[in-house]
Amino acid sequence: MLLLAPTAVALGALTVYPAAWVLWLSLQHRVPIFGVSRFAGLDNFAFLTIDARFWSAAHTTAVFTVASVALEVVLGVAAALAINAQRRGRAVALSFLLLAWAMPAVVAAKLFEWLYHPVAGLINVALGRHALNWLGDPGIALAAVTLADVWRTMPFVAILCYARLLAIPADLYEAAQVDGAGRLATLTRITLPLLGRILLLAVLFRTLDALRAFDIMFVLTGGGPANTTETLTVYAYRALFQTLQLGFGSALSVVVFVLVMGVAWAYLRILRTGSVAA
Amino acid sequence: MSLGTLRATRLVRALVLLTFAGCAGSPSERGPVTLVFKYARILGNADPLPSLLREFEAQHPGVRVKGEALPWASDDQHQFYVINLEGRSPGFDVMMLDCIWVPEFARAGWLLDLTPHLQPAELAPFFPSAVAAATYDHRIWALPWNMNVGLLYYRTDLLAKHGLAPPETYEALVEQVRLIRARERDPALDGYLWQGKQYEGLVVNVLEALWANGARLITDDGDAFPEPARAADALRFLRGLITTGVSPAWTTAADEELSRRAFGDGHAIFLRNWPYARDLFEAEGSAVRGKVAFTTLPGRARGEPGAGSTGGAHLGVSRRSRHPALAVALARHLTSERAQRAIALGAALSPTRQALYHDEELVRRNPAMPRLHALSLAGRPRPVTPYYLLVSATVQPEFSAALVGVKVPERAIEDTRVRLGHFLGALR
Repeated sequence: MLLLAPTAVALGALTVYPAAWVLWLSLQHRVPIFGVSRFAGLDNFAFLTIDARFWSAAHTTAVFTVASVALEVVLGVAAALAINAQRRGRAVALSFLLLAWAMPAVVAAKLFEWLYHPVAGLINVALGRHALNWLGDPGIALAAVTLADVWRTMPFVAILCYARLLAIPADLYEAAQVDGAGRLATLTRITLPLLGRILLLAVLFRTLDALRAFDIMFVLTGGGPANTTETLTVYAYRALFQTLQLGFGSALSVVVFVLVMGVAWAYLRILRTGSVAA
Repeated sequence: MSLGTLRATRLVRALVLLTFAGCAGSPSERGPVTLVFKYARILGNADPLPSLLREFEAQHPGVRVKGEALPWASDDQHQFYVINLEGRSPGFDVMMLDCIWVPEFARAGWLLDLTPHLQPAELAPFFPSAVAAATYDHRIWALPWNMNVGLLYYRTDLLAKHGLAPPETYEALVEQVRLIRARERDPALDGYLWQGKQYEGLVVNVLEALWANGARLITDDGDAFPEPARAADALRFLRGLITTGVSPAWTTAADEELSRRAFGDGHAIFLRNWPYARDLFEAEGSAVRGKVAFTTLPGRARGEPGAGSTGGAHLGVSRRSRHPALAVALARHLTSERAQRAIALGAALSPTRQALYHDEELVRRNPAMPRLHALSLAGRPRPVTPYYLLVSATVQPEFSAALVGVKVPERAIEDTRVRLGHFLGALR
């Protein structure tokens, strides 16, 4: 027990204490710079239930998470399979993937700011007369932001899958070939099931990241137009750091925290039940 | 702190001072004083600030001034100040502030009240709107340092070619855009560029449209949209600029630089922007060099004459500064006529002292200075309230929603009023 003490103290100081403090703040009206500090009970949470901006942010977060993770999985697996099928230049392909993934989110966002530039951007120049208002149209701004995020994070899924593909013994494929399995059957009966577990792990990581997505929309659109790209964390940031409503902002953070914990718990349950063959 | 501990502390402090004085072998009671000045490196290549700081040191022997850089983005600067000023020891004495923060910081008790330090007529040479932005609770909390005002830029070549004078109303502007584009037959030529992205710049642009239509955003008592019908009409007009093609669709994603570049490449007839754009348009190699002039922002046909929104930076003194008198002297030095002339020459930031707009040397460098003076004088500050950031953060998505057509203006205005009422209510 005594040997565990340092760990327990460190964990307590670094995670439990701040989390408890945020929870405590969320039950208050607190705006320190204006000297506002009083107990509010569940006021902040009650306001969230009728706050259209909160529901819009929750909706945006959900759409962004589902769309970005789904695209990342599809493109990531495809990229891993493509690299695995390659005989030459694997290292080059991998380093290109890593380059995108290693790029800080803000830098990637700046890159896409130029790509999406309405007049001089590469994408609109290529589209010619069909140029789109990528970041200013409420119908497509979220899609534009999602694509930018997918470009940056898809390599994570691809690299994990590629590592798993390398570990699949060749004799499995030889046996399948002897049994007369075609390429499609090999893919759906052997490769994809064997990828299952690592994919679930990748999806877990990506989902948790996507639920907390912040930098890409903060830089590209600032949450606009009409808040169509404002996620829960961007809303929480505005409340906490711009308008300094610590109580209300903490309530938003608590919601994000509960959401992330819930999703993580659900995934871990699926992983543990072992319903996915490894 | 009890009297006893106070005495003990003083004794210790005196001992420490004596020890250090002994070490340095200096007979002076005051050790070397260091003032820290926080500012953003907005001043470009020929930054005149280091030499201005050295000048201050020369005038005040034994004082050292350290200039420390702030983060680049305005949001980050605000965050930096809040975190450091809310804590115990800020570690800086004089700070550059965006003028919209002054009432907030004053209300929070972070700024030194400059009123007792000022001579009776000391602020008279400054723009009244800049002084108004530094005033909270009838007291002065900062010295205006540089000035900004919204301007209407136009292409002199295009207007002259079609025999037009710069428009005085938005209605006339729309007509001129139609006429020029019909005659020029250039599909790449846009009409009127302004800033419609969801950010602070959008608030500024909408405010100017509200004022032109005789509407306000918020009263001194904190009531939002006291003239809701006029405000809705102003929003509808802005939306109309986009739907009718007078302004391009991407206006809803445009910030200052995006619109400035498009205009600077020769792709537009009119542009709403700040004075900094002029220098870039007149720079060597610019596609619009010698073809651009600016005038006051238009009014509305049956509304008020147009006025640009003012902005700029102020210098405040931290209330926890250990050398308040010296810190005030430094702020005064940096906002002096000499210093502001040096800054205007070296960095092309507009001064807050009106006389400089007719200064021979400055007018020679920028012949538009007298014109800029008149427009800055007519400019109006954004609402001067400690809650400005809350107001701005609340209205940004609503204005954006009205602009992109997600909400009708009346709905956006009503939603803003409800939200502001809720948040401001919690602060009182």
